[in-house]
Amino acid sequence: MTDSTQNTTHFGFQTVNEGEKAGMVHGVFTRVASKYDIMNDLMSLGIHRLWKDAMMNWLAPRPGQHLLDMAGGTGDVAFRFLGRAPGATATVCDMTESMLTEGQKRAEAENLASRLEWVEADAMALPFADNSYDVFTMSFGIRNVTRISDVLAEAFRVLRPGGRLMVLEFSQLPNPALQWLYDRYSFNVIPPLGALVAKDRDSYQYLVESIRKFPDQEAFARMIRAAGFGQVKYRNLSMGIAALHSGWKI
Amino acid sequence: MTAEKPLHDRHMLEALVCPLTHAVLRYDAEAQELISLPAGLAYPIRGGVPILLPDEARRLD
Repeated sequence: MTDSTQNTTHFGFQTVNEGEKAGMVHGVFTRVASKYDIMNDLMSLGIHRLWKDAMMNWLAPRPGQHLLDMAGGTGDVAFRFLGRAPGATATVCDMTESMLTEGQKRAEAENLASRLEWVEADAMALPFADNSYDVFTMSFGIRNVTRISDVLAEAFRVLRPGGRLMVLEFSQLPNPALQWLYDRYSFNVIPPLGALVAKDRDSYQYLVESIRKFPDQEAFARMIRAAGFGQVKYRNLSMGIAALHSGWKI
Repeated sequence: MTAEKPLHDRHMLEALVCPLTHAVLRYDAEAQELISLPAGLAYPIRGGVPILLPDEARRLD
């Protein structure tokens, strides 16, 4: 590789220069923000709620913990966490202003205001001190970043020793026949649904392509170990349509 | 937005660091900015949300 070669990354199935991806992803989420929750419900038939509950069950939030929910946009994970852990606090961090605005509009945001903070920042360059959080979560966000390893390194840095990482993300079905069926559903149903509900076919085309491009369970687990985390484990949700990955800063 | 920010907001703002340099930020309540001297950047606070993105920051002269 020469100095003049630009590094590339994926934007769905397209290969783009690293410098371009963030702006393209930002565009997608700015466009879909107001319909994001309803589209998640439609795309997953409401199952994303069960996945987030499964995330909380494994995470077992404890009173007084300090959570950083990255790409937490509409607050789904933070609200659940605070609901389960008295006296816990949460920072909801997202790169897209309109996603945070949607989250702040939700009723829970008002009720939990004294335990919540909202920050707009990039997962690859976090504005938080080393060793400052007990828990780092990211749900359906990490496949959208330009360099996954940079996000994991930042998560490791801001977690205190003994802190825990948990990532919820779409994954791959281990069964090829089911994966085939799921691909048919993804590529034939979701973009038209996006066109219908959110008036934005291209953004949803990106979403399904980005899901297919994300590393599978084992590959992503290896990346988490490479970032320094220990006790790295994963659990499949809905046969691997999504997966939860857990790691500890030990 | 009220001029008087709740206490927890102040604590939150003081806990933030510059994403580029990890330097402590100075909170300018009047301008609603967070100043990073080492990076030469002023990060805006809009609608009570601090925006710690260098692309969104104002360059200090």
